[in-house]
This record gives sequence, structure tokens and C-alpha cells, in this order.
Amino acid sequence: MDSRRTTASVNWPGLSVFALVLAAWEAAVRSGTIAFEFLPAPSAILAGAVELARDGILLRDLLHTLLSIAIGWTIAMIVGVVVGLLLGFSPLARRYGLASIEVLRPMPGIAFAPLGLLLFGFSLQTELVVTVLPTVWPVMINTMGGIANAPPRLTDVGRTFRLGSYEIVRYLLLPSALPSIIVGARISLGLALVMAIVAEIVGNPEGLGYGIVREQQALHPEFMFAYIAVVGLLGVILNAGVLAITKALWPWTAPRQPA
Amino acid sequence: MKPSAKLAALGRMAWQLPSPRGLLPLVAALVLWQVLQTGNSPYFPPPSAWWNGLVQIAAAGKLLAACIATLKTIVAGLALAILAGIVLGVLIGTSSRAARALGPLLEFCRAMPPPAIVPLAILFLGYDERMKLTIVALSAMWPILLNTSSAIQHIHPLLLDVSTSFHLSPFDRIRLIIVPSVVPAILLGVRIALPLTIVLTLLVEILTSIEGVGALMITAQRNFQSGQVYGLLVLVGLFGFVINNAFSIVQAVILRRWPPRSVQA
Repeated sequence: MDSRRTTASVNWPGLSVFALVLAAWEAAVRSGTIAFEFLPAPSAILAGAVELARDGILLRDLLHTLLSIAIGWTIAMIVGVVVGLLLGFSPLARRYGLASIEVLRPMPGIAFAPLGLLLFGFSLQTELVVTVLPTVWPVMINTMGGIANAPPRLTDVGRTFRLGSYEIVRYLLLPSALPSIIVGARISLGLALVMAIVAEIVGNPEGLGYGIVREQQALHPEFMFAYIAVVGLLGVILNAGVLAITKALWPWTAPRQPA
Repeated sequence: MKPSAKLAALGRMAWQLPSPRGLLPLVAALVLWQVLQTGNSPYFPPPSAWWNGLVQIAAAGKLLAACIATLKTIVAGLALAILAGIVLGVLIGTSSRAARALGPLLEFCRAMPPPAIVPLAILFLGYDERMKLTIVALSAMWPILLNTSSAIQHIHPLLLDVSTSFHLSPFDRIRLIIVPSVVPAILLGVRIALPLTIVLTLLVEILTSIEGVGALMITAQRNFQSGQVYGLLVLVGLFGFVINNAFSIVQAVILRRWPPRSVQA
């Protein structure tokens, strides 16, 4: 991409509104216009973040959260894609499995936190239970949908060209399901972040989620806000990262940018 | 698939539940569990113990009140989120300048995992019903807001030209052009927000022990009442299932009145 286009696509009004909100917040706290006991100014939050980073504790918590997201998401992707492919290719599996999945799927992931705590105590395993179970569904359903909803004409085309079943699957059906699978993977990644934070808040005293609670209970609002900001940034970066990677690998699957 | 086609498919699918034969693996697993688990395992109690656990809580008179409290928060939080999401979404969507100016801010708010703001809300609002509602409404609002504003931005310009050349009154313009274009997108936003409201309600209840099913779950876990933990897990699953399907029915009814348009910008 040439640099002219990148500079043109930077959303200056948007960024300045962002900056303006922060500036107004800073001014309001400094001048005492809004004086909540627990509302630090953005500059204080930034200073808090720097202090946490210097301690090394922020990096440690960030790495823990990233690690559990990576493990949880990988497990969810493997299970989701494998079961999704099975369901997509086999009408029999759909007939004798789909209703069970539809009953289990709306189960809120957080509900598994007490179960995880019961089985594993405050540990990474509990965090993974809470992270993996809800993140499996989007990948599974989208993989199944991508295969099962492939245009029947694709198979006909393959037959006309005298392709074997393996080639039809490998060169026609899988590529046609790929965009749907990738959407599922993206939804799952976002969900994995949310659930990892949930798990760290209630089930595993480590990582960014626990950092927020820890600082809230210690009445250190500037550290708490710093953790929240890092979590928000992580969300933005993860989403943008997956979009960029999929766009680089499979350009045709990228969602169209809204005008 | 085009978004509108996807919406149309959603509307058609809404009432089609998969065949009950598909429940066989689940039922078989539960029966096996019951038959094979003879001892009173502290970790994997048999399904009959789950039922007994629920009966215990009900006998103590806590189950119904907790269910009602949780349901009330979910419904009220969702209602607030829908209201706020639509109003703000319409305001932002009607001005492309506002949409662009607020874009990064909204993007950040949306990317923020909602559970992260729970400790914040506890700090500011304390442990009460109001805090529970605020968190649920605030987090569930984003998908509705963003879907509404993007749907308004993507109304086909031709449709707006039509309304101008027919000299439609502002009321008719909203009724005939804007509402039908936006309703399916709003429903999609609510569908995304729905599981979020359930998760957040339970999270707040687990964290703060404010009355509700989440508080019952965490109490059961702390007392190592494994039967109750599993029983409540099933109950919560049922909650999710019922709420999801109830919404599917509402969605199907509304989409019949305002079917998704196939016109694309």
C-alpha cells in the first residue's frame, strides 16, 4: 500500500474527537468540575500505566492474558473446525447432533466458572474451561454453515471436471467455506478475550482481568483505569491484527470496508 | 452472502428447530453418566444429584426469588440497551460527519470487553441493583448502536431520492423508508447483545453476591455443593435456551411485518 493512501485514510476528525474527550476529562478533573473520589485524570492514569509497566507487573499480566487467550482460542479452533467439518459434510451427524448443540450453545460461558472452580480451584485450567467452552460455538457453527451452505453447483462443476471427492472437498468446498470459517474465528477470538477477562476476574487470580479487580479492591483507581485501558487496546489490536492477517493471506475473504 | 440475504435467512430459520432426534447424544450421555456414576463423587455427581441440589435450594425458598431477580435484570437491562442503542444509533447514523468523528471512540468502546468495566462500576456505584442494570445496559448497547447507525448510513440513496420526489412528510419518510431499512439491523444487534446481557448479569451476581442465580452458583461452589453447582448450571443453560428462542419468535414476527430489503447501497 502506498503511503499517500494510508495518510489519506487516517481518520483525523475521529482522532481529534478522541483527544478532545481526553482533554475535557483532564480539564474537568483538574479544575474540580467533576470531583468523584475515584476518578483520576487521564494524565494520572498514564502515569499509573507507566509505573505499572516499570514494575514489570503490567507486562507479566499482559503475557498471562495473551497466553490463556492463545491456548483457549487454539483449542476452540481445533475442536470447532473438526466438529464443524463433520457436521457440515455429514447430514447424518447433523440430524443426530444439531439439536444437542442447539441446546448447549446458548449456555452462558460464565456459568462454567463455578464448575471450573469446583473442579480445578483458582487456576489456569479454570480459566481455560471458561474461555474454551463458549468460544467453540462460533467456529463450529460457521464451519458447518460454510460447508453445508456451499452452492450445490460447486459439486456439480467438480463432477463435470471429473474431480474425485477429495479434490472437490480440497479445491472447491473448503475454499468456498473459508470466509465463513474466518468470520467464526474472528468472533471466537473476540469472545476468548472477553471470557479470559471474566475468568481472571472470578476464577484465576492472574492476568489483566485480575489486575483490574486487584487495583479496585486496593482503591488505586489510576492503576485500575490503566488496566482497563490496556484491555481495551488489546481488544482493538487483536481485532485489527486478525483482519490484517486474513487480508494478507486470503484477500478475497476480507469484509468490505463500509463506505 | 449479502447481509440482507443473511437476515432473510435468519427470519426464515427462526422458527425451525432442528429435529428432536438430534437430542439423542445429549440424552444418552446424561443417562450413561447417571448409570456409571454410582458413588457420590464430589466432582462429577450424577444427574439425579443435580436435581436434588436444585430441590434443596428451592426448598430453602431461594430459587424462585433468584430466578426472578436475574430475569428482571436481563429484561430491564436489555430494554434500556435497546432504547439507548437505537436513539444514539439514529443520531450518529443520520450524520456521516458525526459517524466519522465519533468512529474511533465508538470503536474503542466496542472493543472494550464489557466485563472489564464491572469493577469500575462497582467502585463508582456501589453494590446495588442500579449498578447491575447500568453495567448490563451499557455493555449490551454497543452492538445495537453500531448496527443501527451503520444500517442508516447504508440506506440506498435511491430510496431517499424517492421520498424527496414524492414529497413525503418527515413522518412518512421515517415510517416508510427509514424504519423498514433499519429494523432488521436492530434485531441483529439485539441478537448479538442478548447473550452478553446474560453473561454480564451472572458475572455481576457472582462478583458481588447481589441476589440472583449467579450468587446462588458461587455460594454453592464455595460450600462444595457439587450437586447444586451442576443443577444451577443446567438451569442457567435453560435460561439461555428459553430467552434465545423467545427472541427468535419475536424476531420472526417483527421480520414478517418488516421483511429485510434486498436493495443494497
